[in-house]
Amino acid sequence: MIAYNSTWLDALLTRDTAHKWHHKGLLSDEQWKQVQERYQAPFYTPNVFVRIGLAFFCMILLSAAIGLFMLFTGADSDGGIAALSIFFGLLSLAALELWAIGSARHFGSGVDDMLLYFAISVILTGLCSQLPYNTDTLVYYCIALPFLLAASIRYLDRLLAAATFICMLMILLLAVNNIPRLALYLLPFSGMLFSAGAYFFAQKGQLRYAWRHWHRQLVVVEMLALATFYMSGNYWIVQQAGAELFQLEQVPMADFFWLFTFIVPVAYILIGLFKKDRLMMDIGLGCIAAAVFTFRYFFHVMPLEWAAVIGGAVLFATAYFSIQYLRKHEGTYTYAADGDITLLQEIEEQLIEQTIASQNPPTTGDKNTFGGGEFGGGGAGGEF
Amino acid sequence: MHPPILQNLLQQEIITPEDAAKIDIFEAKKPFSLHWELKSLLYLGVILLNIGLGFLIYQNIDSIGHIALIALIGVISAVCLIYAIRHRPPFSAGASESPTPYYDYILLLGCLTFLIMEGYWQFQYQIFGTRYGLATFIPMVLFFGLGYWLDNRGVLSLGITALASWVGITVTPQELLSKNDFNSATIVQTGVLLAALLTLVPFVSERLNFKKHFSLTYLNFAVHIGMISCLAGMMALDLEVLYFPLLCGAVGFYLWYARTRGSFYFLTVAVVYGYIGITYMLITHTDSLNLDFMFYLLYFVLSCTGVIFFLINYKRFIKNDAP
Repeated sequence: MIAYNSTWLDALLTRDTAHKWHHKGLLSDEQWKQVQERYQAPFYTPNVFVRIGLAFFCMILLSAAIGLFMLFTGADSDGGIAALSIFFGLLSLAALELWAIGSARHFGSGVDDMLLYFAISVILTGLCSQLPYNTDTLVYYCIALPFLLAASIRYLDRLLAAATFICMLMILLLAVNNIPRLALYLLPFSGMLFSAGAYFFAQKGQLRYAWRHWHRQLVVVEMLALATFYMSGNYWIVQQAGAELFQLEQVPMADFFWLFTFIVPVAYILIGLFKKDRLMMDIGLGCIAAAVFTFRYFFHVMPLEWAAVIGGAVLFATAYFSIQYLRKHEGTYTYAADGDITLLQEIEEQLIEQTIASQNPPTTGDKNTFGGGEFGGGGAGGEF
Repeated sequence: MHPPILQNLLQQEIITPEDAAKIDIFEAKKPFSLHWELKSLLYLGVILLNIGLGFLIYQNIDSIGHIALIALIGVISAVCLIYAIRHRPPFSAGASESPTPYYDYILLLGCLTFLIMEGYWQFQYQIFGTRYGLATFIPMVLFFGLGYWLDNRGVLSLGITALASWVGITVTPQELLSKNDFNSATIVQTGVLLAALLTLVPFVSERLNFKKHFSLTYLNFAVHIGMISCLAGMMALDLEVLYFPLLCGAVGFYLWYARTRGSFYFLTVAVVYGYIGITYMLITHTDSLNLDFMFYLLYFVLSCTGVIFFLINYKRFIKNDAP
């Protein structure tokens, strides 16, 4: 079912977990060395910057190649072009399967990512271009869904997993929107219901050992589900949707949605803290910001600049005192940096570095976060 | 997710049952780190405060409250800087640890509020008159001084930005393209010279063994300012004879740097800028030949294939024994 060699994926998983334990001092150097020898995954997974570069050049290459392909075959009718783009998409899929994953053993190298995205986009464009102009949007989503779902399962791709989730949600919302009279009341709740369902599915799925290779895709789904659950009941979104779709001035059950707007973020943060669920807590922090913006949109209690000053001061003070508290009271919660940096945090750190701030040395000494070497096949460790 | 992995390691006899028990306890009891969240909040707080204060000042110019406001900003800046100086890490030529977790952010807040205050003075009282250079020169000296003294890369970046504005450009890498008008030859020349200077600094400090860990900050500014200036010289000034060789030299230099230091970042950046330059040269110089569109498509296919194979084999390019 998975395009990549699953023995190697298992070896990677073991190595990564063991590396964390080694980092925390739970495994000796000797043991870590043994793990590295015993669990080998000869994938080609380059450093993140090389990956970006490869994806960039691969995109230009594929775009030029499809242009050449069209010129050589001399397609001139709409149907011909559509058929050729589907054919070209299949060709890139073949290149992905046989060359990139098969013989060159790429895994997250930028080349395999881009081949997949390009193949899916040209196939979908080819299919959809044949539909008549007045086709319902719903049909487009329905055509895209099986491709996105199958590709995210077979190629373990997080971006496509996110696209699959959004696609499903859109299909549901568009379908509900067609129900006469009840649509207005059903829309927010169907969004919430779907998000809740997806959330529990993703949570349960992450616990299943058989699904271990889809762990990161399920995390993406879980994150999006938390966000869309909040968005489904956020007063601003409900009000805007009501005005846009039904020309409503006033939202029914306004009190409920106002309560929802403020209670859900707080609940996310509290539940996240108690259950040590980082994802829920981080999304909760984002939702707090959304709640503040929602409130300010409808009630101009304070000029923007004062709001920014006071908000900034409050944020700074909160963080300051929390850090002081955590440093004095070591226990379940800590301020000490955790070893496992996710991709999102990595990017965030980069951004902060870019906008001239954090003192965080961009992990020059610590080669594992950007490591050419640490993930499976690499030899050379990399610095910036 | 860890029990099956642990089981597996036990079966392979890599770890002993005691190790496994230890790991089990660790996994069950490991503390929940709020490090990243709190740091982001600190950063967001500093940024919001600065945006708010900056707006407040300019909205309240000519009103009674503005003296109080400017005094408040001055006090904030002074308190932050005094805090930073009093709690400074002992000076060393190498890298030093931040004394407290919020230290960097307080220092940053102090520096940014200083900028707001200085800008306000200039705007309201013209304390520097029309000598605008002086208005950027003072923060530059201050930020470079503080950056080196208190060992802070963020402040050093502010200092380099002030230096760049002092010599004529306002920069941070991602704003370069949007904010600057590259039509003037002097700006392009200044950019090239500034980039050369910024590239030189890390090598001097490595030779002197003084603040070597600042290299990356300097080179990151240098590579983008330098390459974009060369490209601008080629495209906007039409001085390809001069700037294309310069670009090639710069690309060669950074490829060499990437190769000897094992830096993937500079490898990718140099390849991308070099590719843009060469492609531009090819397109402008074949314009008169009226070549078929297919020629260009073929060029892109072949050249990208070449670059991809080069990047895939980067491990052979980058020296393994890089320091």
